[in-house]
Amino acid sequence: MMRMVVVRLALTIPILLGVSLVAFVLMRALPGDFAQASAGTSTISAAALEQIRVNLGLDRPIWEQYLRWLGNALTGDLGRSFASKRPIAGELFPRLAVTAELTLIAGAMALAMGVSTGLASARLRGRTDWMVRGWNSLLLAVPNFVIATLIVLLFGLYFPTIGIFNYVAFATDPLGNLASLLLPALSLSLSVSVTISENTRAAVLEVSSQDYVMVARAKGLHARTILGNYLVRNALTPVITVAGLQAAAMLGGSILIETIFTIPGMGQYLFESVGNRDYPAIQGIVLVAATIVLLMNVLVDIAYARVDARVSYD
Amino acid sequence: MTIGLAMFAALVLVVLLGPLLAPYSPSKTSPDSLAGPSAAHWLGTDSIGRDVLSRLIVGGRGTLLITFVAVALALAVGLVLGLVSGYVGGRVDVVIMRVLDVVFAFPVFLLAIAVVAALGPTLRNLILTIAIVYTPTLARVVRGPVLSVKRWDHVEAARSVGVGEFAIALRHVLPMVISPILVQTSLTLANTIFTVTALSFLGLGPPPPDPNWGSMLADARQFMELAPLTVIGPAAAIVFASLTFIVLANGLREMLDVQGR
Amino acid sequence: MTGALLEVRDLTATFNRDGVPSQVVNGISFDIAPGEAVGFVGESGCGKSVTARSIMRLAPEGSSVEWSGRILFRGQDLLALDEHAMRDVRGRRIAMVFQDPMASLNPVMTIGAQLDDMLCRHTGLSRRAARRRAVELLDLVGIRDPAHRADDYPHQFSGGMRQRVLIAIAVSCQPDLLIADEPTTALDVTVQAQILRLLMRLRRELGMALMLITHDFGVIAGMVARVYVMHGGDIVESGAVDALFAAPRHAYTRALLDAVPRIETAGRRA
Repeated sequence: MMRMVVVRLALTIPILLGVSLVAFVLMRALPGDFAQASAGTSTISAAALEQIRVNLGLDRPIWEQYLRWLGNALTGDLGRSFASKRPIAGELFPRLAVTAELTLIAGAMALAMGVSTGLASARLRGRTDWMVRGWNSLLLAVPNFVIATLIVLLFGLYFPTIGIFNYVAFATDPLGNLASLLLPALSLSLSVSVTISENTRAAVLEVSSQDYVMVARAKGLHARTILGNYLVRNALTPVITVAGLQAAAMLGGSILIETIFTIPGMGQYLFESVGNRDYPAIQGIVLVAATIVLLMNVLVDIAYARVDARVSYD
Repeated sequence: MTIGLAMFAALVLVVLLGPLLAPYSPSKTSPDSLAGPSAAHWLGTDSIGRDVLSRLIVGGRGTLLITFVAVALALAVGLVLGLVSGYVGGRVDVVIMRVLDVVFAFPVFLLAIAVVAALGPTLRNLILTIAIVYTPTLARVVRGPVLSVKRWDHVEAARSVGVGEFAIALRHVLPMVISPILVQTSLTLANTIFTVTALSFLGLGPPPPDPNWGSMLADARQFMELAPLTVIGPAAAIVFASLTFIVLANGLREMLDVQGR
Repeated sequence: MTGALLEVRDLTATFNRDGVPSQVVNGISFDIAPGEAVGFVGESGCGKSVTARSIMRLAPEGSSVEWSGRILFRGQDLLALDEHAMRDVRGRRIAMVFQDPMASLNPVMTIGAQLDDMLCRHTGLSRRAARRRAVELLDLVGIRDPAHRADDYPHQFSGGMRQRVLIAIAVSCQPDLLIADEPTTALDVTVQAQILRLLMRLRRELGMALMLITHDFGVIAGMVARVYVMHGGDIVESGAVDALFAAPRHAYTRALLDAVPRIETAGRRA
C-alpha cells in the first residue's frame, strides 16, 4: 500500500514540474515589462525601474529565475504581491481555506444529492428514473454561474429581506459563516451532482445484476443490509473516482461563484490579481491550485485502492 | 436527433445572419431603460435602453463564432496529435501524452484565466486559450481507437502487402476515429460555451462594445430585480446553446452506436 | 403425499420482458421428502434453474416473473407469503448454492463477514458467537486454518474453495432443504468430485433434503435416490435413479444418458 502511494506521488512530480514551468513561463512571457507592472500605474524613472529589475532578479538568466522561484515555492515562499507588496503566501492561504470550505460543503451537497437521486433512479425505475434523468439532462446545460445568478435573482425578487451577500468569517460567527456559504455551495454543487447521479445510477444498475447480489437475496438478508453492504459498497467505488475528479472542476467553478456571492476565496483573489496585473500572485495561485488538483487525483486513486481490495498499483 | 439538428440549425442561422435578424442595432441606446417586454422590444431593454433581443442575437453571433472557431482549432490540432501519437507510438507517444497531461492537469477555467491574464483579453487570445485547453481531450479520444486499430489483422495484412503507412492511416484508422470524435466534439462545444461565457462574465472575454452573452449577464446583475429579462434572456440563450450541443451529442451517440472507448 | 417436505403442484413461471410474456415452466408437480436427495436433470434452458429459483421466489434483477400453482413447504404455500415472510424462509429454511463461485461472493467483504451476516440475521447470535460459529463452519467444509482465513477476501481463494465457502454459508443456519444449482459446473474436474462428496457428507450430518440440479447425469449418479428429467419446461420422466439408468422410457432421457462419457459414470451400478 505504502509502495503504491509513493509510486503514484512519484508519477505526479513530472507533471507538477511541467505545471510550474507553464505557470512561470506564462507570466514572464508577456508583452510589456514585468518590472513595470510591479510599479503599477505610477510612472517611475528609468533608474528606479532598473533597481526594481535587479531586486526582482530579472537581470539573471531566465532558467535561474525559474529555479529560484520554484525553490522558494517549495519552502512556502511564493514571492511578494505587486499590488499589496506583502508576501503572497500570507494572502493566499487564508483565502484557500475559505475556498476549501466552500468546495467541501459543495462536495458534500453534490454527493448527497447525486448518490440519492442516482440510487433512487436505479432502484425505483419507472417514473422516478425518467424524472431524475430529465432533470439531470437539463441541469447539465446550465453553467454554474448562470445558476448562481438566477438564484440571486430569485432571492432578490421574492425574498428581498434575506441577505445573501453577507459572508462572515468562521472564526467570527461559525453558524453565520455556514449559512452564508449554503447558497454558493448549492450553485457550485448542482452540475457536479448530475455527474455523480448518472454515475451512481449506472454503477448501481450494474451491481444489481451481479451474482453476489442474488446470493445475498437468497440468504434472506434484510433489504437494507443488501442495499448497504452488497449494492452500495460495490457501486460506490467507481463513484468515488468520479467524485474526486469533480473536485477539480469545482475548484475552477469556485472563481465564478465567489465573484457572484462576494466570498473572499482563492478564486476572488485570482480575479483581483488579474485585474491588478499582479503577476507573481497569479503565478502562485495557479501553482497552488494545480498542485491541489493533482494531489486530489492521487488521493482518489488511493481511496479507490483502499475500498476495492482487489486493485493493486504496479 | 432531429430536435438537435433543428436547434443546431437555429444557432447556425444566428451566426450567419446575426445583425440582419436583429430588430435594432445592439448598441443603439434609448431613454427607455429597464423596460419590460413590449411590442417594440420583445424582451425589454437594458440599463441604458438597448434592446435585449438584438443584443442577444448579435451577442450570440459573437459567442458562437468564438466557440466554433476555437473548437475547430482544438479539433484540428487534437486530431493530428492523436493520430501521430497513437500511430507512431513509442517515445513520440509518451512525450506528446506527457505534455498533454500537463495541460490536462489544470482545471480548465484556471488555465484559461491564467493565459488570458498573461496574454491580454483579445479575441485572438481567447480563441487560442480555449483551443489549448480542449486539445488534450480531443487528442485522447482520437488516440484510443488509433491504438487499437493499428493492431488489427487487416491492417497488418495491408502492411504486409506493402501498402504505405500513410495510406493505411487514411483508409483504416480515420473512419474508426470519426464516430467518437464527432460525439466528443459536440460535448466540447457545450463545454466551450460554458468557458467562453464564463470568461466574458468575468470581463475577460472580447472587449466591448460587442455584446456577448456572458458580459450581458454580468452587466445585468446590477439592476436585475427591476428588469429580470436582462438576466433571463442571456441565461436562456446560454442554456439553449449548450442544450443544443448536448442533445446533438446524445443523438450522435445513439445514431452511431458509439461505445465508450 | 403427506409428510412431504416440499410439495409442488402445477407450478408455472411466466417471464415478462418488455411486455412480452414467455412461459418457462409449464405446470410441473413434484415432491421432496424430508432428508431426501432428489436430482433435476436437463439441458440448459429446460427450466430447472427457474424451478429452483421459483421455490425461493427469486426473480432475476430487472425482470418480473409471475408464478401460479402451489409450492407447499412444510404445509405452507410459499407463493402466498408476502416478501417479508419469504425473507425469513430464505436462508433459514431453504438455502441455495449457485453455479459460479467466482462471482457469488461479495468482493468487498471478508468471507467471515459474509458468514456472520447470515448467522446474525437468522439466528440472533451475537457478533462474537457468530464469528465462532463461522469459523466452525469453514472448518466443516474443509477450509484450512479457518480462523485466519475468515479475515481474507474472496479473491484470495480458488474457485473450489469459494464454492466451499458458499456451501458453508448455505448450510450455516441448518436449512431443511438445500438447493444446489449446477454446483460443480464451473469447477475443475478434479475439484468437482470433492465438492459433491462434501455435499453428500453435509447432507448426512445435518439431515437436510437436497435438490441437486444439473445437466450432467454423471453428477447425479451416487448422489440422489430419485431423479426428475426436465425438457422444455415440463417434467418428461421421473423415477428412482437406478431404474432410470437401466431402462429410460423417454427419448430425451435416453439422449441425456448417452451424453455421459462411459468411463466417468461413477457409481453406475449394473
